[in-house]
Amino acid sequence: MEAEVIEAELVLPTYLSFKRVQMYEKYPKGQSRGRHWKHLKQILQAENYQNYPPDEPNYVNIESPPSMHPCKRLCDMTGYEAPYYDPRTNLRYANAEVFKLVRSLPSEYVQRYLALRNAAVVLK
Amino acid sequence: MVCFCSQLNRPGQRHWSIIFSTASRERLKKKKMPFISKIKRQTDYNLFPSSTPIVIDNGASYFRIGWAGETEPRVIFRNIVQRPRHKTTGETVSIVGDHDPALLKYFDCTRSGPRSAFDNDVVYQFEIMEYILDFAFDRLGANGSGIDHPVLITECVCNPVHSRSKMAELLFETYGVPSVAFGVDTAFSYKYNQQHGICGQDGLAICPGFSTTHVIPFVGGEPVYRGSCRTNIGGYHVTDYLKQLLSLKYPHHMARLTWEKVEDLKMEHCYIAPDYFSEARLFQKGTKEAEDKTRCWQLPWVPPPTEEPPSEEEIARKAAIKERQGQRLREMAEAKRSSRINELENELHGLGFLLRQLEQVEANDIPSFLSATGYVSKQEIESSLAKVTQSLRKAKGEPKSEQAEVEEKTEASMNEKYPLIHIPDNMLTSEQVLNPKEPKLKKKKKKCIIIAIVIKLLLAMVSIQLKEKRRQIFLKTTTEGRQRAKQKRVEEGLERERKNQEDEERRLENPELYAEQMRAKYKELSERIDQRKRLKTNGSHTNGNNTSGGVGRGERLNAAQRERMRLLTTAAFDRGKGEDTFGAKDEDWQLYKLMSRDNDDDDEGAEADEAELARVSSRLQEIDPKFVPKQELVPPQSAAEAPRLRPLTKEDFQIVLGVERFRCPEILYHPNLVGIDQVGLDEMTGVSIRRLPSKDEDLEQRLTSSIFMTGGCCLFPGMSQRLEAGIRMIRPCGAPINVVRALDPVLDAWRGASLYAAKLQFTEQTFTRMDYYEKGEDWLRRYQLRYTL
Repeated sequence: MEAEVIEAELVLPTYLSFKRVQMYEKYPKGQSRGRHWKHLKQILQAENYQNYPPDEPNYVNIESPPSMHPCKRLCDMTGYEAPYYDPRTNLRYANAEVFKLVRSLPSEYVQRYLALRNAAVVLK
Repeated sequence: MVCFCSQLNRPGQRHWSIIFSTASRERLKKKKMPFISKIKRQTDYNLFPSSTPIVIDNGASYFRIGWAGETEPRVIFRNIVQRPRHKTTGETVSIVGDHDPALLKYFDCTRSGPRSAFDNDVVYQFEIMEYILDFAFDRLGANGSGIDHPVLITECVCNPVHSRSKMAELLFETYGVPSVAFGVDTAFSYKYNQQHGICGQDGLAICPGFSTTHVIPFVGGEPVYRGSCRTNIGGYHVTDYLKQLLSLKYPHHMARLTWEKVEDLKMEHCYIAPDYFSEARLFQKGTKEAEDKTRCWQLPWVPPPTEEPPSEEEIARKAAIKERQGQRLREMAEAKRSSRINELENELHGLGFLLRQLEQVEANDIPSFLSATGYVSKQEIESSLAKVTQSLRKAKGEPKSEQAEVEEKTEASMNEKYPLIHIPDNMLTSEQVLNPKEPKLKKKKKKCIIIAIVIKLLLAMVSIQLKEKRRQIFLKTTTEGRQRAKQKRVEEGLERERKNQEDEERRLENPELYAEQMRAKYKELSERIDQRKRLKTNGSHTNGNNTSGGVGRGERLNAAQRERMRLLTTAAFDRGKGEDTFGAKDEDWQLYKLMSRDNDDDDEGAEADEAELARVSSRLQEIDPKFVPKQELVPPQSAAEAPRLRPLTKEDFQIVLGVERFRCPEILYHPNLVGIDQVGLDEMTGVSIRRLPSKDEDLEQRLTSSIFMTGGCCLFPGMSQRLEAGIRMIRPCGAPINVVRALDPVLDAWRGASLYAAKLQFTEQTFTRMDYYEKGEDWLRRYQLRYTL
C-alpha cells in the first residue's frame, strides 16, 4: 500500500479489536455474499401486515395516496408550461420551436426524456 | 444488566448540560455550505464511562455518531461503502464514506460503485451496515473487546420488524453492546426544537429527507404514527432529476456531471419558486429578471493557440524552400525524361535494324528468323515500332494535335483490323478466318475427297468465324463508345464554359440582382437538403439504434418505405380467411415489382441537390464578401459531439442553469413530474390531518399553527413560503398557519437524540440482549420509544 493511503487510513482494517466476530469469519471468501439479503419488497411481504389490525400503523399503510390535484403539464425539454404533446413520440412541448427540436431528436434521447417522467416504453 | 442509576450523579454530567444551552444560539445562522465529512479518529474513547450512551443517527445520506449529551456528533460521513481492488496488490478492500478522490487513484474503482445499505429508507443490507458500523466505531476510538456502551440508533418510521431485529442482532452479537434503543429521527428533532420553543407541544413535523418525505403529527408531545404519511421522494430524486436534465442538454459534458458535483450544484443554486408557472413564464419571455436568475457554470477551457499570420521572413523562407524543392523535382524529372528518350531511341534503332534485316532475308527463312528475335510476325514488329515512335514523340513533348493525327491513323488501321465486320456472315470463308489479317494464301486444287473434307472443315470454321466476327464487333463498339464518351465530355466542358460566361455577363450588368438570386437559390437548396437529411437521419438513427424498442414507426418515414410496408401488410392480411395463402399463385409475387427499391430515388435527388448547392455556395463566396456558408445546423440536444465545424468557443464549455434551478425541487411538491404517483409536500399535510384518529377542529388548528420543518431538503430557499401557500389552499379559510424551520435541519436529529439519551430515564427505554431473546419478535414489533421523559 502506498504511504499516503496508509496515512489517510482510507482502508478499513480487517481486524478490529472490539468485534466479537470478524468480517472474514462471518463472510468467508469465495462464498456469494450479497444475494441472500432480502430487498424491501420481500421484507414487506414477509411481514404479513394483513394479519394485524388495519388501523395499526405499519410501513405499508402510512404510504401516501395518489395526488388529487390535476397533474402539472411541463414541457419535457425546456420546463415551460406545455399544453401540447407530440403523438408520435409522446413528448410534451411548449411551442413551435421546441417542436422542431422534439422532432429532430434521435430515438435514444426521446426515450431518456420519457424515462424522466417514467413514461418510457419498457420492453420486458 | 447493570443498573445505571448509581453512576448518574457524577459531577461531570452537569458539565454537559451547561455546554448545551450556551452553544445552541449559534445555530440560527443558515448553513448553506455542503456537508463536509468529519472522520478524524477520536482519542478520548476511554474517558467515557460505560454508562454513557453512544448516539447514532443512521440516515440514508449521512451517518452521524457521537456521545450522548454532546452538541455535535464526533464523526460524520456519507453512508456508503465502496469495495475496490487495489491496483498493485490486487486485494479487495473496503472504503467507507466519501474520501479524497485523489487517493482513490491507487484503486481500480470501475467495478465497485458506492453502495448503500438502504433500500428507500429501510436498512436491508446488513453486511454493508456492518462495514459502516466498523468504520464508525473505529473512528470513534473504540478499542478493547467490545462496545461497552448502550447505543441509541435511529430508524425510519414504522420500521419493519425484520430490519429492526437484524439490526439489534448485529449490535448485540457482533459488537457486544449491552442495550439498544430505536427512535425516529424526525421525532428527536421535533423534541429538541420543542425544548427550544420553536414548536409547540402539538404540531406537524414535516421531514423531506434523502429518499423519503414524512409528515408526522405530534399530539401531547408524542408522535401519532397512525396519522403519519410518507412519500417516496427526497433529495436523492431531486439530484438525480437535475443530473438527467443536464446530461440530456449537454451530452458532450456528461463525463463532468458526476452525482457529487450535481449535488453540489443543487445545494448551491436550486430554489423553490413561489409559483412555478409564473416563474417559468419569466424565463420563456426572456425578461431581465430571468437573465439575472440564470446561473452559468464555466468549465475549464483552454482556447486553442491562435495562429499568428506568418511574418515576412517566414513567408520568404518558406517560399525559398519551396522554390528549391521545385527545382530539385524539375531536375529529377528532366533526368528521367532524357534517360527514357535514350531508351526509346535505342529500341527504335533496334527495331529498324530488324526490319531491314527481315527484308533482306528470304521468304522461307522468315519464321525461323522471327523466332530468333522473339516476334511472331512482321506486322508485330511494325506495330511495336509505331508504338515506340509514338511514345518517343510524347516524351519529347510534342503538342497534342499530333496525337489526334495518331488517333486518326489508329482509326484507319482499325478499319483494316476489322475487315470481317463488314462482310456478312454467309460470305465468310475459311481463308479469312485462318488468316484474318494477311491476304489470301495460295492454295492448290485438290481431289473430290479432299473437297469433302474441306467442306466439313468449312462448316466447323464458320462457327469460329462467327465467334471471331462477334469479337470484332464487340471491340469496335467498345472503342466507339469510348470515343463517344470523350466527345460528350468535351461538349459538356464547352457548355459549362459557355454558361459561366453567360453568368459572368449577367453578374457584370446587375450585381445586386444576381447576388439576391444566388442567395435565394442557396437558401432553398439548403432547406431542401436539410429536410431530406433530417428525415434520413431520423430514419437511420432509429434503424441503427437497438435500444429504442417499440414499433419501428420512425424507421419508415420515407414515402417509398411506407408504401412498401403498406403493400406487404395488405398482402399479409387480406389474403384467405385465417390462412396465409400468399405465394400459392404466381401473380402474388408481382407485388414485389410494385415496390421501389429502398432509397434509390432519394439518393439521386439528394446528390444532384448537393452538387448544385456546392456550386452555388462557391459562387456566392466569390462574389459576396459577406456571405458565410451556413454550416450544418444540428440542434444542440441531438448532437452527440459538440459542433466541430466552427472553432470551439468559450460558450461551448458553459453549463447554463436557468429553468432547472427551480424545476428540480418542484418535484417535492409534484412527484408526478418524475412519474411517482403520490402526493406532494403541501397535500401531505392535508392527508396527515385527515388520517388522525380523533377529529377535533381545535386540535387541527393547533397542529397547523405549528408546522415544523426539518431534514436536509428543507434548506432550499423559498421552501417555507411555498409550503405555507400550499397548506393555505387546503385548509379552511382563516385557519392559523405558521411554518417554522428547525434551528439546524441537518444536525438537529442527532442533537435531539443526544439530549434524549443523556436523560436519566433513558435506560428504561432501552432493551437488553436478554430482553431481545426472551421476549421474541412480537414484542419487538410493538416496541416504541416514549419521547417525553
